[in-house]
Amino acid sequence: MSAVASSVAPHRLEMRGIGKSFGGVAVLSDVDLVVEPGEVLALLGANGAGKSTLMKILTGLYERDAGTIRIDGTAVSFVDPRAALAAGVRLLPQEISIMHDMTVAENISLADLPMRRGPGFRVDDAAMRRKATALLDELGFGAIDPNLAAGKLSVAEQRIVEIARALAGEARILVMDEPTAALTEQETRLIFRLIRRLKERSVSIIYISHYLREIFEIADRIAVLRDGRNAGEFVTSAASRADVLSAMLGGAAGDLYDVAARGGAERWAVLSVEDMSVPGRLSDVSFSVDRGEIVGVFGLVGSGVEVLGRAIYGALGPVVEGGIRIAGLPYRPRSPRHAKKVGIGFVAADRKREGIIGDLTVRENMVAAFPDRYARGLFVSRDAEAAQSRRWIELLGIRARGPEQIMRTLSGGNQQKVCVARWLVEGVTLLVLEEPTRGVDVGARREIYAELRALADRGMAVLVLSSDVEEVAGLSDRSIVIDRGRLVGRFERGTAPTRLMAATAIDPAFAGG
Amino acid sequence: MTSLVQPSPSAARSRRLAAVLGQPWSGVAILLLFYLCLILIFSVLSPFFLTLRNMLAIGSNVAFIGLMAAAGTPLIIAGGLDLSVAAVAGLVGVLIAIVHADGIDIWVCVFGALVLGALIGLVNGLFATRLRLNPLIVTLGTMSIVSGTALILTGGLTKPLMVRGFNWIGSGYVLGVPIPPILMMATYIVLAIVLRRTQFGRFVYAVGGNAEASRLIGLPVERVQIVLYVVSGISGAVAGTMLAAMLGAAAPNAASQHLLTVIAAIILGGTSLYGGRGSVWGTLLAVLILGTLNNGLTLLDVSSFWQDVTRGIVLLLAVAVDQLRLRLQGS
Repeated sequence: MSAVASSVAPHRLEMRGIGKSFGGVAVLSDVDLVVEPGEVLALLGANGAGKSTLMKILTGLYERDAGTIRIDGTAVSFVDPRAALAAGVRLLPQEISIMHDMTVAENISLADLPMRRGPGFRVDDAAMRRKATALLDELGFGAIDPNLAAGKLSVAEQRIVEIARALAGEARILVMDEPTAALTEQETRLIFRLIRRLKERSVSIIYISHYLREIFEIADRIAVLRDGRNAGEFVTSAASRADVLSAMLGGAAGDLYDVAARGGAERWAVLSVEDMSVPGRLSDVSFSVDRGEIVGVFGLVGSGVEVLGRAIYGALGPVVEGGIRIAGLPYRPRSPRHAKKVGIGFVAADRKREGIIGDLTVRENMVAAFPDRYARGLFVSRDAEAAQSRRWIELLGIRARGPEQIMRTLSGGNQQKVCVARWLVEGVTLLVLEEPTRGVDVGARREIYAELRALADRGMAVLVLSSDVEEVAGLSDRSIVIDRGRLVGRFERGTAPTRLMAATAIDPAFAGG
Repeated sequence: MTSLVQPSPSAARSRRLAAVLGQPWSGVAILLLFYLCLILIFSVLSPFFLTLRNMLAIGSNVAFIGLMAAAGTPLIIAGGLDLSVAAVAGLVGVLIAIVHADGIDIWVCVFGALVLGALIGLVNGLFATRLRLNPLIVTLGTMSIVSGTALILTGGLTKPLMVRGFNWIGSGYVLGVPIPPILMMATYIVLAIVLRRTQFGRFVYAVGGNAEASRLIGLPVERVQIVLYVVSGISGAVAGTMLAAMLGAAAPNAASQHLLTVIAAIILGGTSLYGGRGSVWGTLLAVLILGTLNNGLTLLDVSSFWQDVTRGIVLLLAVAVDQLRLRLQGS
């Protein structure tokens, strides 16, 4: 703890032995992270590795359970985000957070508006513009007009304004979470140019991204987390992609997916998609899902994978171009109601916002999609519903006190199982699941995988869309990879996760080879 | 980690309390208890309170408020809100009076009033769902238009409306019970059955509990809300008709002063303004509590200004207790 010799210049950031658990489950244990002044450190890890928890501790959103944090040699302990801001720690969240209706200058000065002298609390517009211009000039983006409404800028320019805002308050450490997720290749260049300027100003940057290609280009060092622990540290110039990937994903995926396909069932395509496009998000994607088969689609955040499933399900309305067939018949997505009639079930990624109805009971949640199946004429039969709910609870191993437990009091994994149970009725032949195990603990995860396999064995066609590469590689009979709206790879069962991940890391300049 | 601290007897007691309060029915039970206490207190303080006559009078007095609150409950459960309902009641009363004065049969007028109420509800529903406007703003707008129209039509004056048969709706008796409370009770029973026993009722709770999730499992989210706005509009029309029949006259703003009582009753009854939670029985108890409070305080000669203050305190208290209860339910 007191190992820092006074003669050596202190690290910009030194996190030692950081530990954090939630409800008895350790999310971080004994994690170290060191960043030097003017250094770009890439923080890498699969979903659930603990990256965001670590960064939330750094930025004062969470309190750590164990460990020490020093900034420029001084021990700090942030009780809230304001304290972290005051110490010069800035977080740029993945979602751009600028005020669209305010000018660029206003956005930059928002936290510290220059005031005119005298009474009336009037904002000094001229000083505010000067400050914005000076800052943007210094960053090499003097071309951005400080008087323009920020909403009129391109996404990349908005990102730059956001970074300028962070710097207006003298940032020492800048945490960037997937800063290029919504950007094109050229726009990414702009951000990189800016990052190099920041290095010259000796700002330290923690750069979180899934895109290996970017990391190898911009980062000085790479720190890898896996399962809440340090899993490797590399100097970028001396590291290979393979080393970094295997540190991130570990060796074998373990027995989490010990659920082999049984096959046997007669095979025919329940869903076939030809040259499907969603304007602006996906273009010319073709694949099929057979009866009894699990097809996984892997894509990173912003790749377009997050719209593929809902586009097919009709949740985006009639925006899909190209040909889709369900059991051989032409199908045009219109609405979830329509998709349901055609025999498609859908489990949304954001369980709390789009999946469960928290105040209702488990039973009411389970029968919500098809209440008419348990009704006699006009009236629903609570007994029939309860009987069916009990069967599902048993079938899926849902840990609930019974059908009448309030939904929101269930754990994440059990809530997810309820969301799956909804669709286990006659007539549903295709089940589309987004991020089926997001926020689900490892034990329940395994059960969900086993259950999806069992459904497939009973003849269901299952389409899984996920940004968790291990999940797609481990679970799928066949998998495809989406990157920047295009299908970039097709893989058979048993493909290593590193190969799926590598498919997204291909530089577009060399694509096609 | 094992706990080193033995649970104290008081901790065990508070856990038992939490378990009881955590039950879904506990909200209605607390209201019932409160209602019974209220009756007890007023019976002790005033000899005129606990008489059949007075009880029936309370029933008649709260009936038109109770009707509007009954229809407003499923609407708020489904994530909507109707501030125009009381204004509709006012407009409908004066329209019946004016049109009947022109020689149109009274029952045709009543039917027309119900259709008008439904249409205003439909407009509210279409604006709130298809255009995705905030229901607070939409119905504030229609409320203003509707109550303004009633004032224009009457010049702000009260119109007499004495028609035998018609006035019977407001002042007649069946088996010794006045008609307004009978109508109100019938409405509550029907709505309770619809909410608890039909598919439509399921939709109401699902849509209010999580509209986005409901849409994604293919429920007719907008249609459910529109239907409920229409029902609310009709309830306003029935309440307005009843009030005019009871008073033998139609005043343009006879009902609008009671809007806040309607909303207060729904919330006091345990219905969440955020949707997804509530029951018509809770609303009924709340309507009875507010009516009894009014009646009892009047019997005790408390000024009506103090009655407003009392009502506000009861409302705040009830909402606070309900929040506490919900938190216990969550843990």
